[in-house]
Formats: sequence, structure tokens, C-alpha cells
Amino acid sequence: MDTSERIIPHEYLTFTLGNEEYGIDILKVQEIRGYDAVTRIANAPEFLKGVINLRGVIVPIVDMRIRFNLGTPHYDEFTVVIIMNVLNRVIGMVVDGVSDVVALEPEQIRPAPELGSALDTRYLTGLGTVNGQMLILMDIEKLLSSDEMQLMDSAA
Amino acid sequence: MTTPDHHNTSIDLDRFNAVFFEECAEHLADMEHILVALDPAHPDGEELNALFRAAHSIKGGAGIFGFRDLTVVTHELESLLDKVRGNELGLTATMIDLFLEARDAIAMQLAGHRDGAAVDQGVIEDICRRLRDQIETNAAAAEASTSSHVPSAEPMTGFRRLEIVFSPDNDIFQRGVRLENLFNELAQLGDLSVKAEIPEAPPFEAFDPEVCHARWIFALDTAAADEEIWDIFEFVAEREQLTIITRDEQATAAPSPAREDIPAPASTPAEAAIAPMGRRAYDRDETAPGAFGRRGGEAESSIRVGVTKVDQLINQVGELVITQSMLSQMAAVLDPVLFENIHRGLLQLERNTRDLQQSVMSIRLVPISIVFSRFPRLVRDLAAKLGKQVDLKTVGEATELDKGLIEKVADPLTHLVRNCLDHGLESPEARMAAGKDPVGTITLRASQVGGRIVIDVMDDGAGLSREKILRKAAERGIPASDAMTDEEVWQLIFAPGFSTAETVTDISGRGVGMDVVLRNVQALSGRVQVSSEPGAGTRVTISLPLTLAILDGLSVAVGGEKFIIPLNAIIESLQPKPEEIKSVNGRTVVHVRGEYLPLLPLHQLFNLETAVTRAEEGIVVLVDVEGEKAALLVDALLDEHQVVIKSLEANYRKVEGTAGATILGDGRVALILDVHALLRMR
Repeated sequence: MDTSERIIPHEYLTFTLGNEEYGIDILKVQEIRGYDAVTRIANAPEFLKGVINLRGVIVPIVDMRIRFNLGTPHYDEFTVVIIMNVLNRVIGMVVDGVSDVVALEPEQIRPAPELGSALDTRYLTGLGTVNGQMLILMDIEKLLSSDEMQLMDSAA
Repeated sequence: MTTPDHHNTSIDLDRFNAVFFEECAEHLADMEHILVALDPAHPDGEELNALFRAAHSIKGGAGIFGFRDLTVVTHELESLLDKVRGNELGLTATMIDLFLEARDAIAMQLAGHRDGAAVDQGVIEDICRRLRDQIETNAAAAEASTSSHVPSAEPMTGFRRLEIVFSPDNDIFQRGVRLENLFNELAQLGDLSVKAEIPEAPPFEAFDPEVCHARWIFALDTAAADEEIWDIFEFVAEREQLTIITRDEQATAAPSPAREDIPAPASTPAEAAIAPMGRRAYDRDETAPGAFGRRGGEAESSIRVGVTKVDQLINQVGELVITQSMLSQMAAVLDPVLFENIHRGLLQLERNTRDLQQSVMSIRLVPISIVFSRFPRLVRDLAAKLGKQVDLKTVGEATELDKGLIEKVADPLTHLVRNCLDHGLESPEARMAAGKDPVGTITLRASQVGGRIVIDVMDDGAGLSREKILRKAAERGIPASDAMTDEEVWQLIFAPGFSTAETVTDISGRGVGMDVVLRNVQALSGRVQVSSEPGAGTRVTISLPLTLAILDGLSVAVGGEKFIIPLNAIIESLQPKPEEIKSVNGRTVVHVRGEYLPLLPLHQLFNLETAVTRAEEGIVVLVDVEGEKAALLVDALLDEHQVVIKSLEANYRKVEGTAGATILGDGRVALILDVHALLRMR
């Protein structure tokens, strides 16, 4: 466990998906905005809601609630999209709500056990505990670039 | 950390290096250009000078930026070039070949530094050695020939070397005297070299740029009388400001009047250094008008800007256009009488943004000569390899198109030119037997037709053979029949895996040719056409959009979504009557003006819910791509726009049936349909 990224205390943006509390590296987050009407993309997987115009940039929007079967997705004025900058791409993720920004020391992070959550452990950095609450830390880069998300041309 | 020394300051150096690499590439391109056009029997002195300067610039830059290895070849090249332009050595075809090889070696070294490509040191050493050999062997030969030549030369009467010292008044510049005109006139009298001296410079504070402190010393080999020289200085200098001294009667071998064209052998190297090239001696200065590297006034008035900056500008202007159309849409609901000023202002804004967009787009346009200029070399090398004689003609090199397109069109064009050489043109013997000029012609022609750029690649070779193509198609299992028209037969050559060359060569004919060309051009929203006449030649025409950045389109509504159909694909749109809808083999077709067109319901292709599922309820848009027609079923037609094409791949991936996306006036994203791909989707 000597990967250099673990030496620096990370700050995480926490958000909820269904009943679970998740966290992603705050440095990957570009902005947070409300859910707008999307332009649907034909023959795309169901969790890809479509694309939006973010100040002239066309950004795909994924809904992790659909992808990981976390509760029933509904879209209202409280639905939030986290716009992330991952691997030189801008991608939006629909979440039920954004909670907080927390700093976690490496010792506060435990490796994720199998069957810990709806997410495959491959895409988890680990589990954190904040005020007695469990936080599932996503490796968002790995997740979004994975083949099963179908967000990028596999040839690229 | 074991980074090499120069990496410590690499951040800044990288930037400078990039500029150096770019300049080198330009110099190399110029060298190639000149070398290929150079006629060994009658080399143009100015071109030799240009070659020398290019080599010299690369060497100088390489020295400054610490690319020592680059200086090695350039140094040898420069030495040989210097001898040639100094008329010490006569230019030979072998030398030109060698120069070209040296150029390639330098390009290889450059690629090594820039991209980390492999550099073959053996080639470098070989080139250096051969360049040196040229100097030594030819120098020996030249010496032998001149020593026998000089004494036999008829000494011309009255031919002498003059030294003219011209010490003008201090105010000569203020009087508006053009010294270069003086020099020109003197140079017409004979071989001239000029030297400027400043006998007494004033202290720095007293220096005035308009006051002349210099004097000039001319060395002139001429048969002209003193009077002619006085005449030249008539209005410029008083008698006492000019001294004419006769240095040597019969100074050099008699210069022929046509000296500019025929390089006369200079008597000895030492003398050649003093007065090498007549009036061109001062022309060598890079600041001389028309000298290489200056190209009129253009160099001064252009700046080098990174493509990313230009693209950023284009994107931002695209944003502006979207914002502007958003505003127009919002204002459309306002009362035209009450808000007349707003409407007028918005109209003005629309005009201004359009103009701005056009100007910005034009920054990206570059002349196609950038691509064409690589072909003389290619043709020269290939023709030599194939034993064919070819004359390459380029027409319309100034035609401009988008930089992004230029880069991508280069490969297909290269392929086509190779095909012309390899398959199109016959051998000189076969041409003569057919009563044609043994030298074949390949013509590259670019022109702008409407909103498109048309590039023709033509040869005057044997033309396509209908029988051969049909036979080959049958062999390859490509569906074909004798009943096909010529047009249709020619299209067969674009089928994957098709190749008609009798023997497969390493130049073309691996059977990956034309289908790749077609695919590459189609990827640029372009079209390819072939026409051919037996015995007279073949013409391949590529037509491309002017730019990839904007598109004229029709927006249509399908189940709550909007799509853009490129205008250039649309023939017409109509509401079909129920009796015009027919079913053929379970597929719906629309009967329009005697033609049965397959119906493509967009809502089905894009999985959208819509109330309009029957053709007679909606609108059909008739489209035509490369002669293939279809009817697209949409709910309604909305508007005609000029849209800015955005890539979906930047943040997502390619979506089947689309050529990208755009942002509409209301801020929503709309997909741009790729009609050609749609036809393949059904």
C-alpha cells in the first residue's frame, strides 16, 4: 500500500445514490448542476440518458442509479448532475443528491470487501468512515473508462 | 533522477525546439521543391542560392539548439552546394539525386529528434562520405578542365578589372538615393562584388540613421569604358566622390553575354570567392528583394499561430453564433412595433456574427499547394523506379481548403497519384506504339465549385478496361454483370479487395487501394467519381466540403427530438399520399415520380416514440447520396440553419447514423444525420 496517491490526504465529494453514500475524488469534479432535458442517443444503453450542451461542449450524461439498480430513478428539480473531468473527457453523472466535501486520511480508508456494495470492487478505492457513516469511495476514472460503461470507443 | 542535462530547462526549450523543427520542415520542403524542379544543364543561380540558404539555415539552427548531428550532413551538403553555386563545380543529375538523399537523411534525423523515430547512422555516414566524394572527384575534374580551358580562352580586348571607390555625401540617404538601383546598373556592366566600409564611425550618441558614414568599394570585371560608369553615378555623386582604378587588364576568362544562364567555369577558386556571380553577389543577402525566405511582403505580415488557438477561436465564435440565434429566438415573440430597436439591433448582431464567423473560418483555410508540392518528388522517384516517363502538372494550387481536410486528403491523393503511375500510364514503348507521346502526363487540378472543393487526378494513360474489371470482379466474387453501364463498372474498382494490376507491385496493387481512398474521402463527407476513356486516360474526381466545421442543414422533428439533415443530401421533401406508399417484399417504399424509394422511418432507426408512424401522416425527405436515394420519414420539418459541427467523440463515442452533433438556438443538442450511414443501417 505505498501508491503515492494515498500519501496525500484526499478530499472527497460525497453524494447519495439510492440509500448508499458514495464519494469521489474532488479533483475530478468540474461542477455540479441541475438535471436538464437531455438529447437522447439511439441504441445506447439505458443508463446513458443522452447528451447535453454544457456551454458549447457536448457532454454525455450517465445515470448510475440505472446502471447499478439503486432505487427507482426519478428526475425532479432536486436531481443533480455531477460534471466530471476524467481522462480528458467531460462526463456528467446523475445522482440523488450531493451531500458534502470530506477529507479522509489514508488510515480512515479500508479496502473494500467483496459484496460490499452494488458496485464491483474493481471500481472502488475503498471504504471510508465519516462520523460513523460508511462512505463508498468510487474509482471514477476506472469505472467510466471501463468497457461495460460503453462511454468511449473501444478502439480508441 | 537521471534526466539528461538539457531536460532541466526543457519546458522552455521544448517550445523553441518546436519552432525550430517546424522551420526545418519548411526548409526541407523548400529544398525538395527546388531540387525536383532543378535542371542540371541550366541551373538557376537564384535557386542554387535558395538551396544553400535552406541548408545553411538548418545548420545554423541545429547548432544553436544543440542538435549537433544535424549539422554534420548539412555541413557537407552546404560545402558541395557552395562549390556548385560558385560555379566551381558543374551541377550533375547525380548531384541532384545525392542532394535529395541528403535531404531525406536530414529529414530522418529531424524526425529522430522530434518524434523519437529511429535514425540509421549508416545512411548518414554514407551520405556524408558521398557528398565529400563529389567535391573531391569533381574538384579534380574541374581543375583539369579549367587549366586547359583558361589559356585557350580568347582574351577579350578592353576587358579589365576595376576598383571603384564611392564615398558619397553624408546626406545621400536624405536625398532619397536608392543605392540598390546603382548596384543593379553597375552589375549589368559585368561581374560585380560590393563591399561597404565605415572609415570613421561617429560616437554612439551622435549616431543618426539618416546620415551616411559608409563608403562602398566595387570590384567590377567589365569591358565598359570609364564614361559608362560615370554615367551611372551621374546624379548621385560628384566627380571627386568617385575613384576608378584599373586593377588588372584581362582579369578573367571572357564572360559571355549570356553569363547568367550558363555557369562559366571560374578560373581559380580564390578568384571565384571575390567575384563569384555577377550581380547576384549581393543578392545572396537574405534581405534582398525576392530572395528565398522572403516571398514578397508576405513573410513580414504573417504570424505563426498554433492550430489549437485557431480552433479555440472557432469554437468561441461558434458559441457566439449559438447565443446570437438564442437571442433572436427569444426576441421573436416580442412585438415588432414596440421593440423595433431590439429587433434592429439583433439583425445587426446576426450580420456581424456571420461575418465574424466567416473571417475566423478563413484562418483555417490553407492553399492546397501544401499537398500538391509533395507530388513532384513522389512522381519523380516512382517514375524512375517503374521506368516510365512522366510529366506532372498541377493546376489551381492556390485553391484553399480547411487545414484539417488538407491533412486528411493527402493520403488518398497519394494513393491516386501512385495508381496513375503504376496502373494508369503505360510504359514509354507502349505509348509510342499507341502513337502517343512517350512522356505521360499526370494532372492534379483543384478548384472550388460552389461550396465544395473539387480535386481531379487525371492521367493520359490507357484508361480503365471494362473487360478486365468485369473479369476481375467475377474472379473476386464481386457481384457484376455485362449489362452494367460503364459508370457502374468503374465503381467496381472501389470494392474492397479489388486490384487489376497484372502483377502486384510494392507501389500499389495490394488491393487495398481504391476502397481505402473511397472510405477516407467519405469520412471527410466527400465523394469520389471515376471517368475513363479507353486509350485516352482516367480521371478520378474527389469532391470535398469547404470546411468540416460548419454545415447547412435542415432541422426535422422526430418524436420530441430534433435532427439535422445535411442540405446537400436533400433532393426534396413532400407529404406522400396513401396510394404512393407501397410494400415490396415486406419493406415499405415510396413511389415518387416513377421511382420507388425505400422508406426509412427515423423513429425506428433511432428508437423513438412518436405519434407519426405511417408515412402518409408525416413528411418524407428524399435524400440522395452518391446516386443512392431513399425517403426519410420524419414528423415535421422545422427550419433551415447553418450549424456548427461538434464532435460527439470528444466526450462520448461515435453514434451510428450520425456525423456529429450541434447545438440549436434553444441550447439543446441535436444530432446531425449521416445520410450515407443511415442507408447502411436499415
